[in-house]
Amino acid sequence: MLVDFELIKRAQGGDAAAFNEIVTVYRKRILGTVSRLIARTEDVEDVAQEVFLRLYFSLDQLRTPEVFEPWLYRLTVNAAFDYLRKQRRRQEFRMSDLSEQQVMLADAAAGGKAEQEDQHHKKVREAVDSLLGAVSEQDRILLMLKEVEGLSLKELENIYKVNENALKVRLFRARQRVLKAFGASGKDGQGPQRPDR
Amino acid sequence: MFPQRGSDEEKLNALLQAYKAACPDRDASANFMPALWQRIEARQSFSFSFFRMASGFVTAALALSIALGVYMSLPHTNSTPYYSQSYVEAVADANSSDLVFPVRLDVQPPAR
Repeated sequence: MLVDFELIKRAQGGDAAAFNEIVTVYRKRILGTVSRLIARTEDVEDVAQEVFLRLYFSLDQLRTPEVFEPWLYRLTVNAAFDYLRKQRRRQEFRMSDLSEQQVMLADAAAGGKAEQEDQHHKKVREAVDSLLGAVSEQDRILLMLKEVEGLSLKELENIYKVNENALKVRLFRARQRVLKAFGASGKDGQGPQRPDR
Repeated sequence: MFPQRGSDEEKLNALLQAYKAACPDRDASANFMPALWQRIEARQSFSFSFFRMASGFVTAALALSIALGVYMSLPHTNSTPYYSQSYVEAVADANSSDLVFPVRLDVQPPAR
Protein backbone atom coordinates (compact mmCIF):
# COMPACT_ATOMS: atom_id res chain seq x y z
CA MET A 1 0.00 0.00 0.00
CA LEU A 2 1.39 3.35 -1.04
CA VAL A 3 -0.38 5.42 1.61
CA ASP A 4 -1.00 4.83 5.29
CA PHE A 5 -4.40 4.33 6.85
CA GLU A 6 -4.16 7.57 8.76
CA LEU A 7 -4.00 9.56 5.53
CA ILE A 8 -7.07 7.76 4.20
CA LYS A 9 -8.95 8.44 7.40
CA ARG A 10 -8.01 12.11 7.22
CA ALA A 11 -9.24 12.27 3.64
CA GLN A 12 -12.44 10.56 4.72
CA GLY A 13 -12.87 13.28 7.28
CA GLY A 14 -12.82 15.88 4.51
CA ASP A 15 -9.16 16.89 4.68
CA ALA A 16 -8.46 18.25 1.19
CA ALA A 17 -4.69 18.15 1.69
CA ALA A 18 -4.86 14.45 2.55
CA PHE A 19 -6.97 13.77 -0.52
CA ASN A 20 -4.49 15.72 -2.64
CA GLU A 21 -1.69 13.58 -1.28
CA ILE A 22 -3.53 10.37 -2.11
CA VAL A 23 -4.12 11.59 -5.66
CA THR A 24 -0.48 12.58 -6.04
CA VAL A 25 0.68 9.16 -4.87
CA TYR A 26 -1.66 7.12 -7.04
CA ARG A 27 -2.18 9.25 -10.12
CA LYS A 28 0.77 7.92 -12.08
CA ARG A 29 -0.34 4.34 -11.55
CA ILE A 30 -3.96 5.13 -12.30
CA LEU A 31 -3.04 7.06 -15.44
CA GLY A 32 -0.96 4.09 -16.61
CA THR A 33 -3.74 1.61 -15.92
CA VAL A 34 -6.35 3.78 -17.58
CA SER A 35 -4.18 4.32 -20.63
CA ARG A 36 -3.76 0.55 -21.00
CA LEU A 37 -7.44 -0.12 -20.42
CA ILE A 38 -8.86 2.42 -22.83
CA ALA A 39 -5.95 2.75 -25.27
CA ARG A 40 -6.77 6.34 -26.19
CA THR A 41 -4.10 8.68 -25.00
CA GLU A 42 -6.17 11.81 -25.53
CA ASP A 43 -8.83 10.74 -23.03
CA VAL A 44 -6.63 9.18 -20.36
CA GLU A 45 -6.50 12.20 -18.07
CA ASP A 46 -10.22 12.72 -18.37
CA VAL A 47 -10.97 9.16 -17.28
CA ALA A 48 -8.35 9.29 -14.51
CA GLN A 49 -9.94 12.48 -13.19
CA GLU A 50 -13.28 10.71 -13.23
CA VAL A 51 -11.71 7.95 -11.10
CA PHE A 52 -10.49 10.43 -8.50
CA LEU A 53 -13.77 12.33 -8.64
CA ARG A 54 -15.61 9.11 -7.79
CA LEU A 55 -13.04 8.44 -5.11
CA TYR A 56 -13.66 11.84 -3.56
CA PHE A 57 -17.41 11.40 -3.39
CA SER A 58 -17.41 7.80 -2.23
CA LEU A 59 -14.49 7.82 0.17
CA ASP A 60 -16.81 7.91 3.15
CA GLN A 61 -18.28 4.56 2.06
CA LEU A 62 -14.95 2.85 2.52
CA ARG A 63 -15.27 1.03 5.84
CA THR A 64 -11.82 -0.52 6.10
CA PRO A 65 -8.78 1.35 4.80
CA GLU A 66 -7.05 -2.02 4.24
CA VAL A 67 -9.08 -2.59 1.08
CA PHE A 68 -8.35 0.86 -0.30
CA GLU A 69 -6.22 -0.28 -3.25
CA PRO A 70 -8.58 -2.95 -4.63
CA TRP A 71 -11.35 -0.47 -4.13
CA LEU A 72 -9.50 2.21 -6.09
CA TYR A 73 -8.86 -0.38 -8.80
CA ARG A 74 -12.54 -1.15 -8.92
CA LEU A 75 -13.32 2.54 -9.36
CA THR A 76 -10.75 2.64 -12.15
CA VAL A 77 -12.23 -0.41 -13.85
CA ASN A 78 -15.74 1.01 -13.58
CA ALA A 79 -14.70 4.39 -14.98
CA ALA A 80 -12.84 2.72 -17.85
CA PHE A 81 -15.78 0.44 -18.50
CA ASP A 82 -18.20 3.38 -18.61
CA TYR A 83 -15.89 5.24 -20.96
CA LEU A 84 -15.54 2.27 -23.32
CA ARG A 85 -19.27 1.67 -23.33
CA LYS A 86 -19.92 5.32 -24.19
CA GLN A 87 -17.31 5.19 -26.91
CA ARG A 88 -18.84 2.04 -28.33
CA ARG A 89 -22.25 3.66 -28.36
CA ARG A 90 -20.91 6.87 -29.87
CA GLN A 91 -19.24 5.26 -32.76
CA GLU A 92 -19.53 1.69 -33.80
CA PHE A 93 -16.01 0.46 -33.47
CA ARG A 94 -14.23 0.72 -36.75
CA MET A 95 -13.36 -2.69 -38.02
CA SER A 96 -9.88 -1.72 -39.01
CA ASP A 97 -7.78 -4.03 -40.99
CA LEU A 98 -5.85 -5.81 -38.29
CA SER A 99 -4.01 -7.98 -40.75
CA GLU A 100 -2.52 -4.94 -42.35
CA GLN A 101 -1.58 -3.66 -38.94
CA GLN A 102 -0.04 -6.97 -38.08
CA VAL A 103 2.00 -6.78 -41.21
CA MET A 104 3.10 -3.28 -40.38
CA LEU A 105 3.89 -4.42 -36.88
CA ALA A 106 5.91 -7.30 -38.16
CA ASP A 107 7.74 -4.92 -40.47
CA ALA A 108 8.46 -2.68 -37.55
CA ALA A 109 9.72 -5.64 -35.57
CA ALA A 110 11.90 -6.74 -38.44
CA GLY A 111 13.28 -3.27 -38.81
CA GLY A 112 14.31 -3.37 -35.15
CA LYS A 113 16.13 -0.34 -34.02
CA ALA A 114 15.83 1.26 -37.40
CA GLU A 115 12.19 2.01 -36.63
CA GLN A 116 11.29 4.78 -34.29
CA GLU A 117 10.25 3.38 -30.93
CA ASP A 118 7.30 5.73 -30.63
CA GLN A 119 6.05 4.65 -34.00
CA HIS A 120 6.30 1.03 -32.96
CA HIS A 121 4.49 1.64 -29.70
CA LYS A 122 1.75 3.45 -31.52
CA LYS A 123 1.30 0.52 -33.86
CA VAL A 124 1.20 -1.94 -30.98
CA ARG A 125 -1.43 0.18 -29.25
CA GLU A 126 -3.49 0.38 -32.40
CA ALA A 127 -3.21 -3.35 -32.99
CA VAL A 128 -4.30 -4.25 -29.46
CA ASP A 129 -7.00 -1.60 -29.47
CA SER A 130 -8.34 -2.95 -32.73
CA LEU A 131 -8.18 -6.55 -31.54
CA LEU A 132 -9.87 -5.86 -28.22
CA GLY A 133 -12.43 -3.70 -29.99
CA ALA A 134 -13.87 -6.96 -31.28
CA VAL A 135 -14.71 -8.26 -27.80
CA SER A 136 -16.92 -6.87 -25.08
CA GLU A 137 -15.76 -4.20 -22.66
CA GLN A 138 -15.91 -6.70 -19.80
CA ASP A 139 -13.62 -9.13 -21.61
CA ARG A 140 -11.27 -6.37 -22.59
CA ILE A 141 -10.89 -5.01 -19.08
CA LEU A 142 -10.60 -8.43 -17.44
CA LEU A 143 -7.89 -9.52 -19.87
CA MET A 144 -6.04 -6.26 -19.51
CA LEU A 145 -6.02 -6.51 -15.74
CA LYS A 146 -4.78 -10.08 -15.79
CA GLU A 147 -2.44 -10.17 -18.76
CA VAL A 148 -1.14 -6.63 -18.97
CA GLU A 149 -1.51 -5.20 -15.47
CA GLY A 150 -0.38 -8.53 -14.07
CA LEU A 151 -2.94 -8.67 -11.29
CA SER A 152 -3.22 -11.97 -9.45
CA LEU A 153 -6.45 -13.92 -9.22
CA LYS A 154 -6.66 -12.94 -5.57
CA GLU A 155 -6.49 -9.25 -6.47
CA LEU A 156 -9.05 -9.75 -9.21
CA GLU A 157 -11.29 -11.50 -6.70
CA ASN A 158 -11.22 -8.38 -4.55
CA ILE A 159 -12.02 -6.16 -7.48
CA TYR A 160 -14.76 -8.24 -9.08
CA LYS A 161 -16.13 -9.75 -5.85
CA VAL A 162 -16.47 -13.19 -7.40
CA ASN A 163 -14.69 -16.39 -6.44
CA GLU A 164 -11.54 -17.67 -8.07
CA ASN A 165 -13.19 -20.42 -10.08
CA ALA A 166 -15.73 -18.08 -11.59
CA LEU A 167 -12.91 -15.71 -12.48
CA LYS A 168 -10.92 -18.48 -14.12
CA VAL A 169 -13.91 -19.41 -16.26
CA ARG A 170 -14.49 -15.80 -17.25
CA LEU A 171 -10.84 -15.32 -18.05
CA PHE A 172 -10.72 -18.48 -20.12
CA ARG A 173 -13.79 -17.49 -22.10
CA ALA A 174 -12.54 -13.94 -22.61
CA ARG A 175 -9.23 -15.27 -23.85
CA GLN A 176 -10.96 -17.68 -26.20
CA ARG A 177 -13.00 -14.85 -27.68
CA VAL A 178 -9.92 -12.73 -28.21
CA LEU A 179 -8.10 -15.66 -29.73
CA LYS A 180 -11.02 -16.28 -32.03
CA ALA A 181 -10.95 -12.66 -33.16
CA PHE A 182 -7.19 -12.85 -33.47
CA GLY A 183 -7.32 -16.02 -35.54
CA ALA A 184 -10.13 -14.72 -37.71
CA SER A 185 -8.26 -11.51 -38.42
CA GLY A 186 -5.19 -13.45 -39.41
CA LYS A 187 -7.02 -15.87 -41.69
CA ASP A 188 -9.47 -13.77 -43.66
CA GLY A 189 -7.78 -10.41 -43.41
CA GLN A 190 -11.12 -8.80 -42.61
CA GLY A 191 -10.27 -7.63 -39.15
CA PRO A 192 -11.54 -9.00 -35.88
CA GLN A 193 -14.98 -10.53 -35.70
CA ARG A 194 -17.46 -9.19 -33.20
CA PRO A 195 -18.44 -12.14 -31.04
CA ASP A 196 -21.91 -12.78 -29.72
CA ARG A 197 -22.42 -11.09 -26.38
CA MET B 1 8.29 -7.60 -30.40
CA PHE B 2 5.46 -9.20 -32.25
CA PRO B 3 6.39 -12.72 -33.32
CA GLN B 4 5.67 -13.99 -36.78
CA ARG B 5 5.88 -17.63 -35.81
CA GLY B 6 4.20 -19.68 -33.12
CA SER B 7 0.64 -20.41 -32.14
CA ASP B 8 -2.03 -17.76 -31.83
CA GLU B 9 -1.71 -18.07 -28.05
CA GLU B 10 1.97 -17.18 -28.18
CA LYS B 11 1.36 -14.35 -30.62
CA LEU B 12 -1.37 -12.95 -28.43
CA ASN B 13 0.82 -13.17 -25.32
CA ALA B 14 3.64 -11.42 -27.13
CA LEU B 15 1.30 -8.73 -28.41
CA LEU B 16 -0.05 -8.08 -24.90
CA GLN B 17 3.45 -7.89 -23.49
CA ALA B 18 4.43 -5.48 -26.24
CA TYR B 19 1.35 -3.50 -25.39
CA LYS B 20 2.43 -3.21 -21.78
CA ALA B 21 5.76 -1.83 -22.90
CA ALA B 22 4.02 0.51 -25.31
CA CYS B 23 1.85 1.96 -22.56
CA PRO B 24 4.13 2.67 -19.60
CA ASP B 25 2.90 4.48 -16.49
CA ARG B 26 2.79 8.15 -17.31
CA ASP B 27 2.75 11.30 -15.32
CA ALA B 28 -0.11 13.73 -15.29
CA SER B 29 -0.04 17.09 -16.97
CA ALA B 30 0.33 20.24 -14.90
CA ASN B 31 -3.36 20.90 -15.32
CA PHE B 32 -4.42 17.59 -13.82
CA MET B 33 -5.00 18.66 -10.22
CA PRO B 34 -6.63 22.06 -10.93
CA ALA B 35 -8.97 20.40 -13.42
CA LEU B 36 -9.78 17.67 -10.93
CA TRP B 37 -10.66 20.17 -8.20
CA GLN B 38 -12.71 22.15 -10.68
CA ARG B 39 -14.75 19.04 -11.43
CA ILE B 40 -15.12 18.25 -7.75
CA GLU B 41 -16.35 21.76 -7.02
CA ALA B 42 -18.72 21.71 -9.98
CA ARG B 43 -20.22 18.43 -8.77
CA GLN B 44 -20.41 19.74 -5.22
CA SER B 45 -22.20 22.93 -6.23
CA PHE B 46 -24.63 20.92 -8.35
CA SER B 47 -25.31 18.57 -5.42
CA PHE B 48 -25.63 21.54 -3.08
CA SER B 49 -28.16 23.34 -5.26
CA PHE B 50 -30.07 20.10 -5.80
CA PHE B 51 -30.11 19.50 -2.04
CA ARG B 52 -31.28 23.03 -1.40
CA MET B 53 -34.04 22.70 -3.96
CA ALA B 54 -35.12 19.35 -2.54
CA SER B 55 -35.11 20.63 1.04
CA GLY B 56 -37.10 23.69 -0.10
CA PHE B 57 -39.73 21.38 -1.58
CA VAL B 58 -39.83 19.30 1.59
CA THR B 59 -40.24 22.41 3.75
CA ALA B 60 -42.99 23.75 1.53
CA ALA B 61 -44.80 20.40 1.57
CA LEU B 62 -44.52 20.21 5.34
CA ALA B 63 -45.84 23.75 5.79
CA LEU B 64 -48.75 23.01 3.47
CA SER B 65 -49.57 19.83 5.40
CA ILE B 66 -49.57 21.67 8.70
CA ALA B 67 -51.73 24.48 7.29
CA LEU B 68 -54.22 21.98 5.89
CA GLY B 69 -54.29 20.10 9.19
CA VAL B 70 -54.99 23.29 11.13
CA TYR B 71 -57.65 24.34 8.65
CA MET B 72 -59.40 20.99 8.87
CA SER B 73 -59.32 20.92 12.65
CA LEU B 74 -60.91 24.36 13.07
CA PRO B 75 -64.70 24.43 13.49
CA HIS B 76 -66.11 26.63 10.82
CA THR B 77 -69.61 27.72 9.82
CA ASN B 78 -70.87 26.38 6.62
CA SER B 79 -72.93 28.35 4.21
CA THR B 80 -74.36 25.18 2.85
CA PRO B 81 -77.21 23.65 4.97
CA TYR B 82 -76.16 20.66 6.93
CA TYR B 83 -78.81 18.16 7.97
CA SER B 84 -78.19 16.30 11.15
CA GLN B 85 -81.64 14.75 11.08
CA SER B 86 -82.82 11.86 9.08
CA TYR B 87 -85.42 12.36 6.38
CA VAL B 88 -88.25 10.98 8.51
CA GLU B 89 -87.36 13.24 11.45
CA ALA B 90 -87.20 16.23 9.21
CA VAL B 91 -90.62 15.46 7.74
CA ALA B 92 -92.05 14.93 11.24
CA ASP B 93 -90.68 18.26 12.40
CA ALA B 94 -92.09 20.02 9.42
CA ASN B 95 -95.53 18.60 10.10
CA SER B 96 -95.52 18.83 13.86
CA SER B 97 -99.06 20.24 14.02
CA ASP B 98 -100.56 17.23 12.35
CA LEU B 99 -100.57 14.59 14.96
CA VAL B 100 -100.35 11.29 13.47
CA PHE B 101 -101.50 8.34 15.49
CA PRO B 102 -101.30 4.78 14.60
CA VAL B 103 -104.39 3.51 12.98
CA ARG B 104 -106.35 1.19 15.15
CA LEU B 105 -108.17 -1.44 13.30
CA ASP B 106 -110.89 -3.46 14.92
CA VAL B 107 -111.00 -6.62 13.07
CA GLN B 108 -114.17 -8.62 13.60
CA PRO B 109 -114.47 -12.15 12.57
CA PRO B 110 -116.71 -12.59 9.56
CA ALA B 111 -120.25 -13.69 10.24
CA ARG B 112 -120.99 -17.26 9.36
